[in-house]
Amino acid sequence: MKRSVTIGKILAYVLMITFTLLTVVPLVWMILSAFKPHALIVRQPLAPPFTFYIENFILSWTQGHLGIYFLNSIVYSLSATFVTVGLAMSSGYALSKFQYRSGRIIYGFYTLGLLITVHSVIVPLFIMETKLGISNTRLGVILPYIAFGLPFQVFLATTYVKGIPDSMQESAIIDGATFLEVFVKIIIPVATPILSTMFIYTFLGNWNEFILVLTLTSDMMIRSLPVGINSFAGGMSRDYGLQFAALVIGTVPMIIFYMIFKDKIAQGFAAGSTKE
Amino acid sequence: MTYAQQKHMSYWILVLPGILVFASIIIFPVLFSFSLSFTTWNGYGMPTFAGLENYRTIISDPVFLHSLRNNLLIVVISVFGQIPLGFLLAYLLHRSMVRHGNFFQTMIFLPITISPVVVALLWNQIFSSSGMVVALVRSFTDNPQYVIRIFEDQQLAIVPILFVLLWMHTGTYMIIYYANLQKMTPSVLEAAQIDGASENQMLMRIILPSMIGTIATTAIFAISGSLKAFDLIYAMTGGGPAHFTEVIAIYMYVNTFKYYKYGFGSAASIIIVLLAVGLIMLLQYFSRRLERRFE
Repeated sequence: MKRSVTIGKILAYVLMITFTLLTVVPLVWMILSAFKPHALIVRQPLAPPFTFYIENFILSWTQGHLGIYFLNSIVYSLSATFVTVGLAMSSGYALSKFQYRSGRIIYGFYTLGLLITVHSVIVPLFIMETKLGISNTRLGVILPYIAFGLPFQVFLATTYVKGIPDSMQESAIIDGATFLEVFVKIIIPVATPILSTMFIYTFLGNWNEFILVLTLTSDMMIRSLPVGINSFAGGMSRDYGLQFAALVIGTVPMIIFYMIFKDKIAQGFAAGSTKE
Repeated sequence: MTYAQQKHMSYWILVLPGILVFASIIIFPVLFSFSLSFTTWNGYGMPTFAGLENYRTIISDPVFLHSLRNNLLIVVISVFGQIPLGFLLAYLLHRSMVRHGNFFQTMIFLPITISPVVVALLWNQIFSSSGMVVALVRSFTDNPQYVIRIFEDQQLAIVPILFVLLWMHTGTYMIIYYANLQKMTPSVLEAAQIDGASENQMLMRIILPSMIGTIATTAIFAISGSLKAFDLIYAMTGGGPAHFTEVIAIYMYVNTFKYYKYGFGSAASIIIVLLAVGLIMLLQYFSRRLERRFE
């Protein structure tokens, strides 16, 4: 009995350490390589950088136009996330506390939306945006971001607001508050924990989004960081040093973001899977 | 304004903006895409009706069939790789089998924050001829000429991609299962322990049966996620060499945006949706049967 526990413990540690190393080693190797000139990366892939070759970062930032991509990513992620979370929260309140029959139909549509992938709408979306003249504009990127964020966020918001006791809303209504006042003054403050989860989860998804920007834009000035980093893989640069520097620029802010908000991100993922 | 009117109006003010955005950007294009899939259209002029022609061409195209195979392999590695491994890791953490569980959890979940494009380029570097894998193999074996040949093999080229997908997503499942395991009432487990149940019995008789619902839900995410796999593969290999690592989403993308076959591309994307719905229905059938057996 005791022996099997120890063997189990050893196996547990082996598994945990293996997975941890699989995460840490590639990332450390990436960061170290970013400080090496191309020739050293190719000749001695495992050697540590002998000098800190900062030129990689300067060149990849300027040649790869990463500054403008970074800015675009911030604009897209922040604006789309704000609107998605706002719309999802108001829908969540309406769909959980008003008991209209149309509410159930609308909720059903959002649930269906969870199954629909970006790919199944990308062709018509591209055509529609071209016809409307918003393809290749920032608005043309932000609108689909909002729409694709909605189904899951509406689900999170509705589930959460459902759990807020009706009595809070009722007493405010009796005191003469309108439903919109209830939403702003009661529901939103009570729902702050889920709002921050929704915000961080949506932001992460928008920040890493790739295919929509890739297909709906062609103008370099309005593309986002993932597309910018991807251009380092193509013919643009055979300099591995620049590529590693670009990868570090794409990764490090997200690792910091992760270290700060890890619990919120985890909640976002876990909330989608709980049985009701 | 009466109370009922005020309530009704507030309802629509709250719900309408969202539903308008959602309907015009998702529902309408899905219907549009569905009708477009029965036509041939290059983006100019009017689409011409072609019936099931697109679908017939696609399912007899060897490139499509190889893409479908790759997609199904991704489904398999997700459902039978990421999910069991994620569960195992979560279980070990939940039962406090290791110390510093929080540290391990943080590290294993980390890949989720990294953009799939960055992940793709990073692993391309790791697998490249001047990458970490080749360098490690060369220094640990007597073969200084070692190179990775797996990408040149039509059947096996997808394997490194499957590995990277496992790397990216196992942590997510771990987090989901861990959160759900934490929600189980500890008294049930304590009672079982007092009654002398072994670790094994508790896992098989109590913990796993109570997790079937969660596992089924995550399997749905895994299936739909696997069928829409695009970013990582597009950035890693672009479907190449010679379509070896192509998946349906890339097949659709290439036909639509490189060859301007809009009708054809729409048909391919409808096939992705149909496959997802079919597999998910199959899964729900089995998970319902399983749940009934444990009741």
